[in-house]
Amino acid sequence: MKRKLILFLALLGFVGISAQSKKISYEQYKLDNGLNVILHKDNTTPIVNVSILYHVGSKNEDPQRTGFAHFFEHLMFEGSPNIKRGEYFKTIEAAGGSLNANTNFDRTFYFETLPSNQLELGLYMESERMLQLKIDSVGVETQRKVVKEERKQGLENRPYGTLLEKMFSNAFKVHPYRWMPIGSAQYIDQAKIEEFIAFYKMYYVPNNATLTIAGDIDVAKTKELVKKYFAEIPKGKVAIVTPKEVEPVKTAEVRETVYDKVQLPLVAEAYHMPAQGTPDYYALSMLTTLLSGGESSRFTKEIKDKQQKAVQVASVPFALEDPGLFVAFGLCNVGGKAEELEAALDAEIEKVKKDLVTETEFQKLKNQIESDFVTRNSTVAGIGESLANYSVYFGDANLINTELQRYMKVTREDLKRVANKYLTKENRVVLYYLPKSMEKK
Amino acid sequence: MKRLLIFFLLLSLTANFAQLDRSQKPKPGPAPEVKIGDAESFELANGLKVFVVENHKLPKVTFSLMLDRDAIVEGKNAGYISTAGQLLRTGTKKRSKDKLDEEVDFLGANLSTSSTSVFASGLSKYTEKIMDLMADVILNPDFKQEELEKIRKQSLSGLAFAKDDPDQIANRVQGALVYGKEHPYGEFETEESTKSITLDMCKAYHETYFRPNIAYLAIVGDISKSKAKSLVEKYLGKWEKKDVPKNTFTNPKAPVVNKVALVDKAGAVQSVINVCYPVDLKIGSDDALKTKVANLILGGSATGRLFMNLREAKAYTYGAYSSLNPDKLVGSFSASTKARTSVTDSAITEILAEMKKIRNEKVSEKELENAKNLLAGNFIRSLEQPATIANFAINTAIYNLPKDYYKNYLKNLSAVSVDDVQSIAKKYIKPNNANILVVGSAEDVAKNLTKFSVSSKVDYLDIYGEKFDPNVKKAPEGLTAEQVIAKYVEATGGKANLEAIKDETLKMSGAMQGMTINITLVRKAPNKMYQLVDFGVGQQKTLFDGEKGKSSQMGQEQELTGAQLEAMKIEATLNSYLYYDKLGVKLELGGMEALNGKDAYKVNLIYPSGKKSTQYYDVESGFLVKSSNTVESPQGAMSISTEFADYKDVKGTKVAHKIIQGTPMGSIELTVTSVEYNTNPSDEMFK
Repeated sequence: MKRKLILFLALLGFVGISAQSKKISYEQYKLDNGLNVILHKDNTTPIVNVSILYHVGSKNEDPQRTGFAHFFEHLMFEGSPNIKRGEYFKTIEAAGGSLNANTNFDRTFYFETLPSNQLELGLYMESERMLQLKIDSVGVETQRKVVKEERKQGLENRPYGTLLEKMFSNAFKVHPYRWMPIGSAQYIDQAKIEEFIAFYKMYYVPNNATLTIAGDIDVAKTKELVKKYFAEIPKGKVAIVTPKEVEPVKTAEVRETVYDKVQLPLVAEAYHMPAQGTPDYYALSMLTTLLSGGESSRFTKEIKDKQQKAVQVASVPFALEDPGLFVAFGLCNVGGKAEELEAALDAEIEKVKKDLVTETEFQKLKNQIESDFVTRNSTVAGIGESLANYSVYFGDANLINTELQRYMKVTREDLKRVANKYLTKENRVVLYYLPKSMEKK
Repeated sequence: MKRLLIFFLLLSLTANFAQLDRSQKPKPGPAPEVKIGDAESFELANGLKVFVVENHKLPKVTFSLMLDRDAIVEGKNAGYISTAGQLLRTGTKKRSKDKLDEEVDFLGANLSTSSTSVFASGLSKYTEKIMDLMADVILNPDFKQEELEKIRKQSLSGLAFAKDDPDQIANRVQGALVYGKEHPYGEFETEESTKSITLDMCKAYHETYFRPNIAYLAIVGDISKSKAKSLVEKYLGKWEKKDVPKNTFTNPKAPVVNKVALVDKAGAVQSVINVCYPVDLKIGSDDALKTKVANLILGGSATGRLFMNLREAKAYTYGAYSSLNPDKLVGSFSASTKARTSVTDSAITEILAEMKKIRNEKVSEKELENAKNLLAGNFIRSLEQPATIANFAINTAIYNLPKDYYKNYLKNLSAVSVDDVQSIAKKYIKPNNANILVVGSAEDVAKNLTKFSVSSKVDYLDIYGEKFDPNVKKAPEGLTAEQVIAKYVEATGGKANLEAIKDETLKMSGAMQGMTINITLVRKAPNKMYQLVDFGVGQQKTLFDGEKGKSSQMGQEQELTGAQLEAMKIEATLNSYLYYDKLGVKLELGGMEALNGKDAYKVNLIYPSGKKSTQYYDVESGFLVKSSNTVESPQGAMSISTEFADYKDVKGTKVAHKIIQGTPMGSIELTVTSVEYNTNPSDEMFK
C-alpha cells in the first residue's frame, strides 16, 4: 500500500531522489605511515582547501584534564623549528589564505583555504606541525589565559551560555561526553609540558590523521607534494587510546533548574540516542526535521506560531561518534512559563509516538532532507570537511554521495518506533533556565 | 623559563628524521588566472533590474531581491519597518500563512523576508514554483492584525532576551553613541516603540517602498538567462512602479574629545569594549580600498596588530579586531574586544596605542605586502560562490561604481603604498575623537576608566543608551510602592502576625561620643507611645497617649502642639506601615539605589502635613534598611538617616536588632537588647 502511494506521488513529480546532484568524485589512499589522504579536484575557482582531521577530541581526555584537546589545538599554532611563534597564522594569511581550527567531542580539525598556487605552502605548514611542533612556555602561558577568556566569552558571560555544559554533564555520568570540549579552567592551569608532549606523541601522528585536499589541483602533482612533505613523518609508536566507557541505560528522568541572569525561561529536553550512522540515528535525525525543520514543522507551527508559547523552538540531533543526544528545546515568550512550554513540547512528542505521520507530511520531510543534502556541498572547504568526516567516522568517504539513501530507507513506522523507543521520560534530562528573581530563598 | 625552552626544542628535534630541507618555506607556483564572470542583466518595463548568474554545479536556484531605498527614521515607532518585513512572510491574499509554510517546506525550499529584501531558494526542479511563491509574497501580502500581534510578542521577547546579552547591549548602545538616537542608524526598538506599531504603518511601508523601480533581483544557479527572463516577466512583470520618497540626513560627527560610556553589567566576568565613532567614508570611493588595507593591518584579522598585541602578546582576550566600514550614508570605525574584567583599562590603553601607532609610524613594506595578499586572497576565495558575481553587479549599479571596478580590484589593491596607508590612517583613525564604550561590571572597572575621558568623567548609560546617575536606578516596570510595602509586611512576619501584636516594648543600648545610651520604647495599639532615653548623665522622655503628647528633658516639660503633634499621631502608631492608607500617608516609588552594594527600592512617604520622608527597602530581602527625613531642631532643619540591620526573629516576626542613626553631630549605633510583645502596659504610662 505504502509503496503504491509513493509511486503515485512520483508520477506527480514529487519523488524523493530525482534531483540530479553531481556526484562528488575523489581519490583516497594511505601513505606507509598510515596517513589517510583524500583528494577532490574541482578547478572552477583557483583556490584549494587543505585540512587535517586528527581523530582526537574531548572524549579522549583524562577526566582530570578536561579541555586538554581544545587547549592543544591552540598550541598547534605555536610553530615548529622552522616556523616562529606567531608566524603560523601570518604565513598563511600573507599567502592570501584563510585558516582556523576547531575541536569537538570526537575530533580536532585544522583547515586553510589558499589560492591554488599556494598548495605547497599549505602542505608544508601542516606537515611541519605534525612532524615537529614546538611549544615554548611563553606560548603555553599565553594560551592558558586566552582559552579562559574563550570560555568566558562562550559560556560564562552569555545568557544560557552554560546550557550545553549542564545538559551533557547531567546526561552522561560515565562516558567522557560528560564534559565539554572547552573543559574546566582549573585543569587548563594544571596541565604540564610533559603532558602536552605525551598527548602530541599519541594523537598527532599520521596514523591518526586524515589529510584532505579539495579544489583547484592537479592530482598527480598533488600526490607528489603529499609524499614530499608527509611521507617522512614517522608513524606513532604509542597505542592510541580511545574511550571504552559505555553510558548505562537510564532508568529515571534527571531534572535540574538553573537560575541565571536571564529574562525568559528556557526548557531543554535531552534524550539519549544511538551513535551517528546507525539506522535509528537516521530516523531520529529525520524526526528533528519533522519537529523543527521549516515554518510548517510541528514544534514551530504549533508551539511558536499557534500557541505562541515560545519565541524559539528547535530540535537538534547531536550527532556523535558514540551515542549522543536528541535535544528538544524552547525559549519562552515574555510572560511564558517553563512548565507550560515543557508540556507543549511533550505533547508534540506524544503525537509522534501515537500516530503515524501522514504520507503527505512524510513526503515533505523527505523532500526537505533531499534538498538539504543535494545543495549543501557548495564550497571546496565544505566538501573537504565532509569527505574527512565520512571517512573517519563511517569508514566510507563516499557517503558524501550516498548517505541520502540511508535517510530514504527510514519509514513512517520507523519514526513512530524510534519516538517510542528513545523519547521516553526515563531516557531524558530536563533542564530549566529561569530568571534569578524566581529563585526561592 | 629559558631552560625549558631548550629542553623542548631538543625534544622536537629528536622526533625529526627529516630528509627534506625544511628550513625554507616553499615558493608559490605561478599565479593562477582569476576569472571574474559577468552577470547577465536585463530590466523590466516597470524598472525592476535583474541579474542572472548561471552556474550548474548544484541543482539549486537562488532568488534574492533587494530594495535600494534611503534610510528612514522611525522615531517613536521604531521597529515598524522590520515588523513590516516580517509580516510579508505571514501569508498572502492567495495563501494563508499555514498554506504558504506548507508549500515552501514541501519543496524543501527556503523563503525569507525583511524590510528591504526577499530571499528564496531551493532545488532547480522547482524553480517556477519558488518564483511563484516569492512573487506572491512581494505582490499580494495579506497583513493581518493577528500576525502582527504574534510578531510583536516575539519582538518583546527578543528585547527581553537582549537585556542580559552583553553583545546585544553593546551593539545597541554603540549605535546610539556613534550615530545618535535620532539618526536612522542609531535608533532602536524599545518595548514602548514595539507596542506602538500598528498594522497601517506596516501596510503603508509596503505600499510605499516595495516598488520595482528601486528593486534589484539576483537569480543565481541552475537556470538559464532566457528561462529567468520569462519567469520574471511572468511573475513580476505586473508589479506596479511608483516613485519612492527620498530622505536626507545630517550625518553625525566623531566626538571632539574622547568620551567614556559605561553600561553596568553587575558580576560580568568579562568586559565588552568598543572604541567607536562615525566616519565620512563612501562605498567605492578612492579612500575605501586604502582604508581596507589600513584596517586589515590594524585589526582586520587574526594577524592584525590588535589581535597580536591584545591576545598573543598580552593574553587579555580571545580576540581583538577593528572594522572601518564605508557606507552610502555614513560609515563607522570600531575597535573591539572582550577582555577579562581586571584588564579592562589595560585593554583600552593598548587599543588606543595601536590606533596612535598606525597613524604616527609607517607600516613596513612586508606588513603591507602581507595585508594586500590577504585581501587579494579574500577576493579570490569569495569568487567561489556564484552569488558574489551577482553582488558585484548589483553593487556597481547601486553605488555608481565604475563598470570595471571589480575587474580592476586586484590591480588597484596592489597599487596601495605604505604612504597611502599612513595618510589614510591619519584621516580615519581617531584615537582622540572616540567613544570608548564598556559593557561590564561597573563596580570593578569604573574608577580605572576615568583616565580615558578628557573630562575625567564616565557616562553611565542604561542598556538603552540613556544617561543616568549611577546611584539612582529605575525600579522594575510595573512595580508599585504598595507592593514594596506589602513585601516588607510579608518579610517581617505577615499581616496576621503583626496585627496580633497589641503592644511592644523595645530596649536598646548604644554609645555616642563616649556616652552610653539606653533607650526604652513602648508602643501600644493603636497609637500610644512611651520613649525614655537615658544618657547616664540625664534623661529625655517623650509620651503620647493617642491624643496629647509631651516631651521632658532635665526637668523641663513641653507640650506637643501643631505639626509636631500631628506627626506624633503617626509616629506613635504601632507598626504604622500596616496602616499607611488609613493614616493618609501617600506612597511614591522613587527608583532604586545601591546601599552598601545592595539594591534597595526607594519609597517616598508623604504625610498629611505635606512633610516627606524617604525609606529604602532591600530588593532581595524586602526589609526596611534605611529611612531618612528632615526634622526641625533648635539648630534648624536637620537631616537624619536611620539604618536598620540584623533582622532577627521575635515570636514569628522579624525585628531589626541593629539601628544606626546618623545626624550631622555624629552617629549612634544602637543594639536592640530585648523585644517584648503583649505585656499590656497600663494606659497611665503614656500620659
